[in-house]
Amino acid sequence: MLDITLGQYYPGNSFIHRLDPRTKILTTLLLIVAVFLANTAIGYGALCAMVLFIIAVSGLPFMLVLKSVKPLLFIIVLTLALHALMGQGEHVLWQWKFIKVTEEGLRLGVQMAMRLILLLMISSILTFTTSPIVLTDGIEALLRPFRVIGVPAHELAMMMTIALRFIPTLMEETDRIIKAQTARGADFDSGNLLVKAKNMLPILVPLFISAFRRADDLAIAMEARCYRGGEGRTRMHQLAYRAGDVMAFVFAFVMIGLLAFLRWGLL
Amino acid sequence: MDPVIETKGLTHVYIDADNNQVTALGGIEMQIEPGEFVAIIGANGSGKSTLARHFNALLLPTEGNVRVHGLDTLEEDNLWKIRQNTGMVFQNPDNQIVAAVVEEDVAFGPENIGVPAEELKQRVEDALRAVDMLEYREHAPHLLSGGQKQRVAIAGTLALGSDCIVLDEPTAMLDPKGRKEILNTMRKLNKEQHITVVYITHFMTEAMQADRVIVMSEGKIAFQGTPKEVFSRVDELETLGLEAPLAAKFAFELRKSGAKIPDGIITNEELADALSSR
Ligand SMILES: Nc1ncnc2c1ncn2[C@@H]1O[C@H](COP(=O)(O)OP(=O)(O)O)[C@@H](O)[C@H]1O
Ligand SMILES: [Mg+2]
Repeated sequence: MLDITLGQYYPGNSFIHRLDPRTKILTTLLLIVAVFLANTAIGYGALCAMVLFIIAVSGLPFMLVLKSVKPLLFIIVLTLALHALMGQGEHVLWQWKFIKVTEEGLRLGVQMAMRLILLLMISSILTFTTSPIVLTDGIEALLRPFRVIGVPAHELAMMMTIALRFIPTLMEETDRIIKAQTARGADFDSGNLLVKAKNMLPILVPLFISAFRRADDLAIAMEARCYRGGEGRTRMHQLAYRAGDVMAFVFAFVMIGLLAFLRWGLL
Repeated sequence: MDPVIETKGLTHVYIDADNNQVTALGGIEMQIEPGEFVAIIGANGSGKSTLARHFNALLLPTEGNVRVHGLDTLEEDNLWKIRQNTGMVFQNPDNQIVAAVVEEDVAFGPENIGVPAEELKQRVEDALRAVDMLEYREHAPHLLSGGQKQRVAIAGTLALGSDCIVLDEPTAMLDPKGRKEILNTMRKLNKEQHITVVYITHFMTEAMQADRVIVMSEGKIAFQGTPKEVFSRVDELETLGLEAPLAAKFAFELRKSGAKIPDGIITNEELADALSSR
């Protein structure tokens, strides 16, 4: 059996887990702004301390959050190296022929790398502590005011809901088709990229046919259950801000204030 | 009391891909009374699914009309009322569950008609309890068995407030255990909550448990009656491509070969009694 965990939700019942999804999305955005404000060592130090603090409160294993940096590790290292080696500046630390490492370049490289790492960790805390279903509810609620300018908030949320429901089913089905085709002697592992892509066709065709069949069935089932778009629809689980949410917002604004102060001083 | 479902001269003509007219239903006259458990059987293509979709206004008559609780399906204003009153359960358990959590899926129907949150929670809880799935309320549907998925679908119609449930071959894709679960659930809902049940099936053993069996053939009602009446017509069933239960066939053959076996034997027990009392 495939065990498909969607997104990367890490179930728990911490203060962070229990926050309203809207709070988590908005404070994540605020903290991202805070990261972009940082331009001093103290600023970055404060942000690192903050991330550690949030991880501690959320009860997530530190290594788990750190691993979220991995997919972009190459880009982070590249950023660091390019800035360090191509940097302009007076204070040359090391030089070999035309390659020189300047203090300014190195500092900028470290800053950029830190920025990327912090952004990845902050946004992954959001997805680690919020199930995709709740996240969808949060996104729908936040987009709702923008319906007046034509943002299809409900439709987007419905699409995400159905995707979340059907991705596991379609994955199981893919698995089944691959097994069936393999049993008939199909080979999906050898050959160059083009051959491989061609070999995938016997999987993709039945998968698409079945997906359309499912879409058809589902549309009828939804209609039978009185579905008529987002108009007049209620929700069983209603989102509600609580005291904890207020605290989270205060915390996020304090971080922005701190970082702004470190950047510009008292204006 | 008014019938729950009443059709008069219901005719349905599909236009197929080659622009040909396919008459799927040709003048159906039927009534389904409150609290009845009606089974509909018939060969593939006899029009069962088409008929079922008329009960929920998913299809509209080409000719004739359908009334659900006295409401004509052709009148647009009645649409949502009709879909609330008669719930539908389809064949494929995977393709009718919308949400990624069981209770969210059961809530889908009542959410669509704007039931307030507090009442919604109660409805969802009651519906899940009625189909014995309450303990799975927070599960992901794709991890449930086929029978459990279909029970979630049944709960979805109950939460919508349906007092009539139309099931279109709900057990066709299930294993024997799942089949039993669904039939027992529907019988229980019929007995205890007086839910009217229209149960389309190609399993004769399931149809035998109904109050009334309607046999469809080529878009028409071939004949109908109690399971006893219907299933003792072994010959006629066979010409329609349907197989009577084994006991009925056996009794029929014995009678043909001259044995004195009473009419109306359809279950193994009845057959055993008849044979041992001779
Ligand atoms: N969408 C459609 N377009 C054209 N013909 C259809 C369509 N759906 C069903 N039919 C035809 O209508 C007849 C009855 O089909 P259906 O109601 O699905 O029967 P059953 O459920 O008893 O197998 C069949 O001959 C079938 O081919
Ligand atoms: Mg059918």
